[in-house]
Amino acid sequence: MIHAIKVAQEERLFAGKSVSVAVITRGRPPGYLRVAFSAVTGLLRGLWLTLGYLWSPEAIVTRQYPENRATLQLTERFRGNLRFKFPNEKAQEDHAAFIEQLAHETQTHAHVAADLVREENETRWYHNCTGCGKCQEACPNASIKVFTRQGEILEDREVDRFVWRLDSCMFCNACVQACPWDAIEMTGGFENAVYDRRLLVYNLNRLAGPRINYIEEEENPDVRKRMVERRDRYGGEVPLNGFALPNLPPVTTPMESGSRAIDADAQARLT
Amino acid sequence: MTVHVRTLDELLHAPLEADSDLTTQEYLVNMGPQHPIAHGSLRVVVRLDGETVKEVIPVPGYVHRGVEKMCEHLNYRQVIPYTDRLDYLSAIMNNWAVAKTVETAAGIETNDRIEVIRTIMAELQRLQSHALWWGVTGMDLGAYTAFLYGFREREIIGEIFEETIGARLTMNYIQPGGLMYDIKPDFAAKVKKLLPYLKDCVEQYETLLSGNVIFQERLRNVGIVDGARAVALGCTGPVVRASGVPLDLRATEPYGAYGKVQFNVVVGTVGDCWDRYYVRLEEMRESIRIIEQLIDGIPDGPYSTIRYNVELTLPEGIHYGQVETARGAFGVLIVSDGKREIPYRLHFRSPNFNNLWVVTAMAPGWRIADFISIQSSLDLVIPDIDR
Ligand code: SF4
Ligand code: SF4
Repeated sequence: MIHAIKVAQEERLFAGKSVSVAVITRGRPPGYLRVAFSAVTGLLRGLWLTLGYLWSPEAIVTRQYPENRATLQLTERFRGNLRFKFPNEKAQEDHAAFIEQLAHETQTHAHVAADLVREENETRWYHNCTGCGKCQEACPNASIKVFTRQGEILEDREVDRFVWRLDSCMFCNACVQACPWDAIEMTGGFENAVYDRRLLVYNLNRLAGPRINYIEEEENPDVRKRMVERRDRYGGEVPLNGFALPNLPPVTTPMESGSRAIDADAQARLT
Repeated sequence: MTVHVRTLDELLHAPLEADSDLTTQEYLVNMGPQHPIAHGSLRVVVRLDGETVKEVIPVPGYVHRGVEKMCEHLNYRQVIPYTDRLDYLSAIMNNWAVAKTVETAAGIETNDRIEVIRTIMAELQRLQSHALWWGVTGMDLGAYTAFLYGFREREIIGEIFEETIGARLTMNYIQPGGLMYDIKPDFAAKVKKLLPYLKDCVEQYETLLSGNVIFQERLRNVGIVDGARAVALGCTGPVVRASGVPLDLRATEPYGAYGKVQFNVVVGTVGDCWDRYYVRLEEMRESIRIIEQLIDGIPDGPYSTIRYNVELTLPEGIHYGQVETARGAFGVLIVSDGKREIPYRLHFRSPNFNNLWVVTAMAPGWRIADFISIQSSLDLVIPDIDR
């Protein structure tokens, strides 16, 4: 140390309170020789410290992404892409295995592949969502739009399409916290680069229909089938109309034709 | 004490003069909005006589997003993720400021567990923020190695945040009435294991930069500002403490668990860049001390005292609350009409905005290279200035 530093503790009266402070003081400036000596030693000590990494490379904390992509494990609470929770563990495991295989075949990343899946076991997509819209209310920047419909069999309100705007989502987790039915979750998905930004607004649900427990109560498999209807990722009207604020009327711009085009695009990527 | 700050308009219309011996001319130079040392879009207009800075006028506004106006349409829970985007290096502490104001105004009680976890998280983030600042200051002054060392600690603390909160930067963790998630069972053990390592790191910082002759010469006695002037300009945080004013909200109006722990408010004596540098290093040691005292006895209890979907309506009137972030006092002023669950008006008192204007008092008379040291020692986060 070229210039001696002293840290002394004392009590000081400040704002009517006795505050314990640590005062930083410096000693007299040292003489020329001493400065020259400690300048050299100071630099050498710094160099010595950095040299340490040469023989202890295990101290390096940098993670090499994307080289480590195959083994990359994100934490359980990581706030990435939103998705519908799987109704049970088995469905989730089945799905994970299927996606892995698909990702391998199509050379896409698992998260991308996960959302492109269409033709597979329907029961895997049963969900807990009732279409109550609490998540939509909780979202600070209108990134969720829940379209509901009147169910034919149960004659009650149920979710039709759950549209999530990845492009304006800020991953705050408010929707997950607000959901009274624990129907959605945030996952480790974070690789979202696309060539068309319209691809970032999509449906999260693959089935329009009531909550899983209503479906499971029904015993007739034919009726069960009729209760739900397929929904794909980019089907239907997409609300690209910005923020609906309490005092401002929302602007509506149906994107029907646009979403068809996107649909074809997504298909093309899969095949 | 009154302080006069010239506006950009006044500067542009004032006649330029030259008082150097050579036949030179004064000129105005824009530093920024894209300048490597600004760490964001901050424009500073400097009046130069050769290499000497005669006058500095900051021109903020390049990252203005109108956050306060947006908040007039959001309920109090929705305001919190927006505070992450002000001073993003103190996101948890900004969250806390809103939560604290809402809790006080609405009369929501919290428990000891919540307050202790909040305090530990806030101190971890202060450590993280100071570590990053240390690295960046090194980089600004030409020591790129320091930058990587600063980021190393940031990464390690970031991993703890990621496990508990799920995010590294935009936390949205402290909510009115509690926390977003409870801590994991192994949180305390992990943090405890980290503390000796962090202590070691502060020593490494001393070896790498503090002992470096070039670094010391560039900071010592540069950009001196006395306590009275710093207070008059509204400075808070390490900037005002380096000038010898022990203003630290953690000690002067304790909130959270700060009333229960022993720690020192670190103050400087000279008020130059070196004091501002060293105050932050000492504060890292104090933060470690605070966490050490709390980590062993995290009390039991629920992590939130109210349900998430509860409607929060504040009583009619003006409510103000403030906390000490890594850069100074962050305050939230809420005007509520008592009827709706959104604020009628909302204002953030951000520490960086006031800390920025002290450059007008510090920089004149110094060279451009010293101006870099001065701005670096203020530890500015630009989105917090513009909001
Ligand atoms: S994470 Fe936040 S911004 Fe994103 S959809 Fe959910 S509530 Fe909206
Ligand atoms: S996800 Fe949850 S909060 Fe949103 S509509 Fe469905 S049940 Fe309601």
